[in-house]
Amino acid sequence: MRCQIYGIGLNSICCLANLDIDLNEEYFLTVMSRSKVVIIKAKGVLTRDEVNQKKLIHMFNRGLCILTGQRNLKESLRILFNERDRVGIKINTLSGKMLSTRPEIPLSLAKFLEDCGIHQKNIIIWDRTNRELKNAKYRININRNSIKILGTDTQGVGYNSKLISHLNIGSLFSSIQSDFITSSISLAVLKDHGLAGVTASMKNYFGAIHNPNKYHDSNCNPFVAELFDTIYIKKKHKISILDGLIVQYHRGPSYHSKWAEKCETLIFGLDPVAADFVGWQIIEKLRAKHGIPSLKEEKREPIYLKTAEKMRLGKANMDEIEIIEEEI
Amino acid sequence: MNRRQFFKTTGGASILACSGMSSLLIDMHAFQEKANLSKVEALFYKKHPDREIECVLCPRFCKLGDKERGYCGVRENIGGTYYTLVYGKACSIHVDPIEKKPLFHFLPKSQALSIATAGCNVNCKFCQNWEISQVRPEQIHHIDFPPDSVVKSAKKNNCPVIAYTYSEPIVFYEYMVDTSKEARKKGIKNVVITGGHINPEPLEKLIEVVDSIKIDLKAFSQKFYTNYVRGELQPVLEAIKIVATSNVWLEIVYLVIPTLNDSTKEIRKMCKWILREVGPDIPLHFSRFHPMYLMKNLPPTPISTLIKVRDIALEEGIHYVYIGNVPGHMAENTFCPNCKKIVIERRGYQIQKNNLKDGRCKYCNHIIPGVWT
Repeated sequence: MRCQIYGIGLNSICCLANLDIDLNEEYFLTVMSRSKVVIIKAKGVLTRDEVNQKKLIHMFNRGLCILTGQRNLKESLRILFNERDRVGIKINTLSGKMLSTRPEIPLSLAKFLEDCGIHQKNIIIWDRTNRELKNAKYRININRNSIKILGTDTQGVGYNSKLISHLNIGSLFSSIQSDFITSSISLAVLKDHGLAGVTASMKNYFGAIHNPNKYHDSNCNPFVAELFDTIYIKKKHKISILDGLIVQYHRGPSYHSKWAEKCETLIFGLDPVAADFVGWQIIEKLRAKHGIPSLKEEKREPIYLKTAEKMRLGKANMDEIEIIEEEI
Repeated sequence: MNRRQFFKTTGGASILACSGMSSLLIDMHAFQEKANLSKVEALFYKKHPDREIECVLCPRFCKLGDKERGYCGVRENIGGTYYTLVYGKACSIHVDPIEKKPLFHFLPKSQALSIATAGCNVNCKFCQNWEISQVRPEQIHHIDFPPDSVVKSAKKNNCPVIAYTYSEPIVFYEYMVDTSKEARKKGIKNVVITGGHINPEPLEKLIEVVDSIKIDLKAFSQKFYTNYVRGELQPVLEAIKIVATSNVWLEIVYLVIPTLNDSTKEIRKMCKWILREVGPDIPLHFSRFHPMYLMKNLPPTPISTLIKVRDIALEEGIHYVYIGNVPGHMAENTFCPNCKKIVIERRGYQIQKNNLKDGRCKYCNHIIPGVWT
């Protein structure tokens, strides 16, 4: 039954994609049905800080196929993107080499996108600054005809001058998010956050605006949800992928080895709220396992997820989220 | 704009445009590739375990992990030490008449070398300078302008005053304090134009090195501060009291925003508080609002509203009540509260006549409080 529901929804998306019609309405219908989140674990994907490429590809393959109900990676991506899309992979490199989205992950994803027909010049892996990207071991690439890796601070990129005012948000957007891309993947690091509680795929978009420091009051609520609800994000966001190879379950968002656990997990979700909600539960389990009070007890649970649910951005309720977990 | 049109207008100059992307790319908002930021240890913060810090400069008390920045966007925790990134990094430098600040009872007709860095510790939806106050220092152009250069520049430009202004000088506290100390050595006065969102201890230290402070009291309700300022009212009121009881000259500005902070009740309540806590002689400026930033949905303040709120303040017994941002209005003038004659006549930022003699009204000899020489 589950597969049938998704099958119908995704076939429809596929048709729409071929017709190059705005996917947003269909996407919205998809996320408002029972939200599916896929957790893929692969023991040995991370050995001495080296990513096992073969296992990583396998993780993507299983994660995306289960999520979309398709037979292979190419088909899975084709129902989310069309060949004319310009795809942004928004990563998180704020915390240096040890706790940023590992380069192997977006680079693999970019290759998959290319394989499904998107020209490599239309794929961009990006974050706020080139300095942070370099610190996280990315090699900046601004070559016009290849997959680009760059920060908003690259000469000639910058912020769109149009101030976007939406609910409590008033920000300039990276022109990568506002102008360059037509579709967005939030490829975030799953981690504890001293103010937000949890930072994952929704909060990752704080790196797409010029003034994220203004949105950390009251556990980042309602700001994370309201930012996601802006035109440049909600309409373009296609999939959330959480990098949980190492999870910082306490004292985040900066890296502290004593509270970082090797989980060797990737989490996939079309519903960003559900994906982040599931990420939160993983962090809570790790905290409990290590005898650390829950985020609720520390009065910093990610209440922005409930706000996001109220805004109909997705589900933040375990009863309405279908979790499929697989170990490979 | 389609792709073809885009290329015609931009010449495909940018990296993204080279890829054929239709976009309006604004270089002025691009970060600087190798941002030339300062790394000077900040004052007023506490170190906590695990490389965490707590900023105690302002009432936000930002608690930050490694590599995180405060709400102001210009102070960063780097490995457990808190740094100011804008020390000596001025993004705005102008010579302004002191009346523009506005300071009406402080060295009239003098020129102030006015400087600012990026950043602010609140986020007013009606900010007039949001393009510098609500950005990070990497996002705007700035120049190296260390304290001794500021003072030299003030001397060179015949400015007896240095003003720390435009954005929020509290966030460049260390730069302001060091510049003020240098300026004093050369006989130059220092004025601070601030929202007053600062904790008592740093304010008391600041008072030791500056000569005048203008505080923007943005409303007299916490609700307004919560919704439109993203700050706290009470610390601002405390700051006003601290400055008023010091040797530093204080003036208060209240930006009157239609329907949001212009009620008779609120204005009267504020005036009563000013009278009770700081007395009748602190100049009070009611400024006209113009639609800006995130508040473009309201009209400019009607002149009639400004006249009404001024009348309330005068009725309550405040002696020096001005109307600002309305050039040519009679309430730009200073009236002697005793004989009611004009002692300083202004038009915009220009002084037309100065009828003060040794700080007194030349008609009735009444003392007019202020710093006049």
